[in-house]
Amino acid sequence: MNSNSLFSQFSRQSPKGVLIIYLQLLYKALKVTWILLFLFIQRFSKFSESALIYIYVGLIVVLLFILIRAYLIYKNFVFKIDNGYFVLKEGILKKKNTSVSFDRIQNINFKQNIVQQLINVYEVNIETAGSKDTEIAIKALSFDKAQALKEALSEVKNPKRETAQTAESQQPKPLLKIGFTELLKVSLTENHLQNLLLFLAIVVGILQQLQDVFKGFGNEKKLNDLVEVDAATIVNSVLFFVVLLVALLLVGVISSFVKILLFHFNLTLFIKEKSFNITQGLLTKKTIILNENKIQSITVATNPIKKKLGISFVTFKQAVSGKVKKQQNKLIRIVGCKLNQIQQIKKVLYAYTAVEEKEKKRPNNYFKLKMYIRSFLALLLLNGIAFSVLQTSFWFFSNVLLVPITILLIQLKFNKQFYKLDQELLLIGSGRVETHLTYLPIFKMQNIKMSQTIFQKRRNIVDLVFQTASGKVKIPCIDKQEALSIYNFALYKAETNTQPWM
Amino acid sequence: MDHFKNQQVQQLPDVSVLDFKKIHKAYLKVILLTTIVVACIAFVGVYFLIEYKLQEEIPNYTVYIYLGVAVLFLSIFSYLIVGFSRRKYVVRDRDITYKSGVLIKTMTTVPFSRIQHVEINEAPISRLFSLASLNVFTAGDSSRDLVIKGIKKEEALKIKEFINQQINE
Repeated sequence: MNSNSLFSQFSRQSPKGVLIIYLQLLYKALKVTWILLFLFIQRFSKFSESALIYIYVGLIVVLLFILIRAYLIYKNFVFKIDNGYFVLKEGILKKKNTSVSFDRIQNINFKQNIVQQLINVYEVNIETAGSKDTEIAIKALSFDKAQALKEALSEVKNPKRETAQTAESQQPKPLLKIGFTELLKVSLTENHLQNLLLFLAIVVGILQQLQDVFKGFGNEKKLNDLVEVDAATIVNSVLFFVVLLVALLLVGVISSFVKILLFHFNLTLFIKEKSFNITQGLLTKKTIILNENKIQSITVATNPIKKKLGISFVTFKQAVSGKVKKQQNKLIRIVGCKLNQIQQIKKVLYAYTAVEEKEKKRPNNYFKLKMYIRSFLALLLLNGIAFSVLQTSFWFFSNVLLVPITILLIQLKFNKQFYKLDQELLLIGSGRVETHLTYLPIFKMQNIKMSQTIFQKRRNIVDLVFQTASGKVKIPCIDKQEALSIYNFALYKAETNTQPWM
Repeated sequence: MDHFKNQQVQQLPDVSVLDFKKIHKAYLKVILLTTIVVACIAFVGVYFLIEYKLQEEIPNYTVYIYLGVAVLFLSIFSYLIVGFSRRKYVVRDRDITYKSGVLIKTMTTVPFSRIQHVEINEAPISRLFSLASLNVFTAGDSSRDLVIKGIKKEEALKIKEFINQQINE
């Protein structure tokens, strides 16, 4: 209750917030004008002395303006807790007054980017369900105040919490703590191909931006010549390809490592009551409280190498309001889970079921046939395009490699697809190289859909799609009668269950 | 189906045997009218394209272009007419179901307990026939979960009222 009175009056952020807001404004300004600045530095010597003075003065004025703006934003940003509502007033000229009732608050997350880590303040994000513009971010609070705010917000919402809070105070041991070396190991098991592509996409993006700048200087030709000469002399040598392959592999591994390090540095997972407390990230440290109710489904992913090391990834999918933008908040992934840790997570969430022991149901053979037909058509198209572009039949040799890989992938996918169902829980297995196990409590579905193409009709099979508050879960190609009984059963579950689902 | 033993005892209500209701007949006119408007625009577009551009380049084939567009719209018409009779819905005490589709048949059910809000929309042409569409929204990124187009406005209002009543209970 002490924390409650702390927020009964309007209060501001920590004064350090001015710095955070200032840097953020500066960053935004830089993002828009960096090309201009670049040009300026290029032509630095060409400016006359008097012109330079004007430019410096102008710069200082702009910086000062941003500073004043940052201060005013800070000054005008006040919040309080009032009678079950979180009230926020902001805006310098255009005043905005937001109030959110406690039961609309979905999550309260802490975040620290690199600057916030340096000056030791926390960003508090208050996520709300429903309307799109009630996402509230308080940029800078001291840890104590942030913690107090969180407690104040969740206390009123759930009075039972208080007893739980005192029990928790003796800091339980984390269920999962991933150190640096372990993270290194984890990153080796990543999908390097995917990360390589990601990396290349980023590089291409940057290059394109640079090229735009070079174009302005008329240097573009030089750059292109450089590339062309190199390409012409080297492209024929086999050695080049080998080196390229090794280099790409290396880049792939490194980008995996960087990605894993950025997102999952210092990953710790606590279990408190029926919720998970996850902290991770290098540049941006995030603390997320995942409530059992909010978790719609979890996916346990593993691949052959991970299996050897005995580790899996666990992805929590939580409910979000209807904005695609918040994709990253929807999926919360933790890496390097050992088998017994997964068991414990499952025990917290799904203690009531033994779905794993149920009979494995597999999709109809048509599922495989469909994939074969589609891949065949895709390969045909690819060959046609390649032939008409390259004008040489040499390309067809690539099919020696492509066809077996395609067949292998289809077989793998078909073999890994299954579902199990008991009174409460649906378990779906899927994946190609990776193996994914998705657990969905049936009553959490938002709607259910059965669809049947004319090809499926002949075989009397259908696809069944469960729509949850965090995406779709699909059972492909199963017998229609069985699908119908699942359909009816799922509806029965969703309509009779009174547990909170979000 | 050994894992549904429980269900046999309970006699779960079955969606497949329900008495589905077709959407209002007048909506076919709305669909066809809309398509005719689109078809007219398409024909005018094709006409100008041929007059000003293709006439010189491929004078012998212009008839086929008209024919192609005509066949395209004829097949769209027949597809819409066949599809129209497949659009059916049913409201039960605790959920609402809609099914449709020719090449891909779908059936969707939304339990009332998961509905966030219900909306009734009236498009310009539909309004001439006092028809409306019923949109059901649930939480999460599934936004528009169930849309039933072409029911009488009073009917739509009644369903909306009924759903709101059931949610608040």
